Amino acid sequence: MRLISFKYLQKQRLLILTVVLMLASVLFSLTAFGFLGFYRTFNAYLGESEDIIAIYNTGSTTPFTGFIPLQLTKRIENISGVLANSPEITVLTLIGGKSVFFRGVIPEEFYKLNPLSVVKGEALQLQDTQSTIVGRRLADTLSLAVGDKVLALGVLAERYLELEIKGIYESNSALDDEAIVPLYAGQWLRGTNYETVTLIRVKVDKTKLTSALLYAALTKEEEAPQPDGKTKPSPIEEIVPISDAAINPQNLGAQETKKLMKTYLERYGMTQETLLILSAAVFIFASATIFSASHTLIRQHEHETAVLRSLGASTRILKFDLTIKALPWSIVASLIGVFIAEVSLLAIESSGVQAFSHTVHFNLDPLLVALNVLLVSAIVVLAIVRSTKKLNLK
Amino acid sequence: MLLRKSGTVESMLAIALIVAILASITSVVNSVNSQAETMGKLLNVGETFVILSNSSTSITDSKVDTELASLIKNVANPKYVLTQKVFTASLITDSDRSTVLVRGVDTEAFLEARNAQINGVSANDTQANVGEILARLVLINKGDMVTIAVENIMVTVEVAGIVQTFTQSDTELIVPMNVANLLTEDNGKVSIIEFALTDTETTEIDQLSRLLPTDVKIVKTQQTQAFIRDVNNQTLSFLSLWSIAVYATVTTASYVVATRLTLESGYELTMLKALGAKSTLPFKLILSFTVVITLLGSVLGLAIGLSGAQIISTAIRWAWINIQITPALEIQQAAQIILFTSASSIFGSVYPAFKVMRHTYAELPL
Repeated sequence: MRLISFKYLQKQRLLILTVVLMLASVLFSLTAFGFLGFYRTFNAYLGESEDIIAIYNTGSTTPFTGFIPLQLTKRIENISGVLANSPEITVLTLIGGKSVFFRGVIPEEFYKLNPLSVVKGEALQLQDTQSTIVGRRLADTLSLAVGDKVLALGVLAERYLELEIKGIYESNSALDDEAIVPLYAGQWLRGTNYETVTLIRVKVDKTKLTSALLYAALTKEEEAPQPDGKTKPSPIEEIVPISDAAINPQNLGAQETKKLMKTYLERYGMTQETLLILSAAVFIFASATIFSASHTLIRQHEHETAVLRSLGASTRILKFDLTIKALPWSIVASLIGVFIAEVSLLAIESSGVQAFSHTVHFNLDPLLVALNVLLVSAIVVLAIVRSTKKLNLK
Repeated sequence: MLLRKSGTVESMLAIALIVAILASITSVVNSVNSQAETMGKLLNVGETFVILSNSSTSITDSKVDTELASLIKNVANPKYVLTQKVFTASLITDSDRSTVLVRGVDTEAFLEARNAQINGVSANDTQANVGEILARLVLINKGDMVTIAVENIMVTVEVAGIVQTFTQSDTELIVPMNVANLLTEDNGKVSIIEFALTDTETTEIDQLSRLLPTDVKIVKTQQTQAFIRDVNNQTLSFLSLWSIAVYATVTTASYVVATRLTLESGYELTMLKALGAKSTLPFKLILSFTVVITLLGSVLGLAIGLSGAQIISTAIRWAWINIQITPALEIQQAAQIILFTSASSIFGSVYPAFKVMRHTYAELPL
């Protein structure tokens, strides 16, 4: 007995199930895209380029709080395969009651790794002692314009600093939510001396140098005799007094920037997999409503199914037919759910919702969409089988 | 009568599980936020404050009455009080003319408060100290004569020492207050008053705030707690937006619960009508049923969510020793969840209840 062409399910009733499925799908998508958005934004903090390696302090609990000697830059630039290196200090501050990240850098070196496009004003130079350049999004958030003065208050140190906005830049990265100051200004705000930085990012020729080789070269350099000391002083050394600091290779780590951020997240149990499992758990919790809605749908059509049973349709055929009829609705519902979630997340993104003072970017992931459709369909099939069994379709 | 229906437990569970999602995630976020706040409290936060004018966003724009320094000394028992006049000026040397930031202070007290290393001595009334970075940039040495100019007023001073403070002053010209007053032609006002307290008593700051004129404000120079609060609020605002989806799911779940009830209790509802019950009675019954189910489901959901989060966090603690998550909900958060869930639930069940109210008993199947 074939029931495919027999339309005994009322569309209005099916619509309720569709809305329930859609909302469960919205919930799953919001959670999964949201969590992964946070995860990816954090991962991309230091850049996603595979030819950039970070030298960092392995003992620090966050990527923003470690210290390594600035003197390492001297060794790094002598290593074959190094194209550029940028010592940086990350500083947490408060400006007008809003948390703001500053990066203290040597602008000339930093631009080699992150070419910024200055949209207003001018680019920062190392000699700009009282100036800063701010990312476009930060400028929008704090309503800052070129020439404005800001008072930055320290978070990890008892410091305050007045800075004039010299320019506004765009980088299409996490930097757009930050401000950049000369390295020494970052060191003031961080409350440290001129010999230490948070990390050094190194741009390498991937065919010649890997993170392991860079680390090995750095360690080897420690044991090797120092160069004759007649090398040309770096730009920072020309204006900032830098004395030799002890370098302990055991405290140093070298890793691709993206992997480094991943390592920090993994320390706190945050991996892409755990976030996906959490999102799936959210969906499964919400699926009790799907079971209830499926059950209600079948109860609403008891009379129709009873007629079909009396006409000779077996329970198996009915289950199969109900599943076939509900599946297209479930697929449509889950896709609409994904769409609504994505639109909502884009609205959230444009409203300036941030995580750790950085704008979160929510990207549509085809794999997650497929997982969503699969989960919704699986739950619908299960719910129909369970409900038909429970009601016995008599 | 209605609560005895077979679908009651299932309906309650459907609501409870949705609430559990919200409760567990909120409790974990609370735990992470409270850990961040605790870490912030463990930091050795200093007790330095600056007073600047209320309307200004920067130091150079600020104008504060010098007399307030005496008030601070009388009220707050400070470690030090430094009046500072900060302004931009032209620095003219033999070889160069550049725009610099000048800080007029009691040089000796200021450099002592900054733990400065001085190559030379602190400046007297006819001298200036130069920050080390500025000295390197404009090629100034100890003993040089430099001219400071603000518009048409010029003052020539001797460089008494090159200083290193690891602060902004390393790029500034530090001059005695009388030189600063001469250049700005203003004796009664300074840009800021910086002071440090000897202990962490907030009562002194509260008392001082009350006594200060309304056109000035006190700002703490290290804002650890405010930073953490702002970062935590960012997470909470995403959570609030996300919870809208949860409450929307509760609304549809309640619609399903109410619809299912009207289906399963068709006989009872029809009987009531046939026996002459007012048409609003089924409406009230269905609404009350949904509210009861929602309230019970919310409480159950809070319990499931919290205990589930506890179990998972304990398991995570076993797997990753470093991670300490102690999920917890504040009373007002729990109350808010119950309240919003109930409101969403009532909203969702109104239409099915209204539909039953509109039916005549002849339309309802017995």
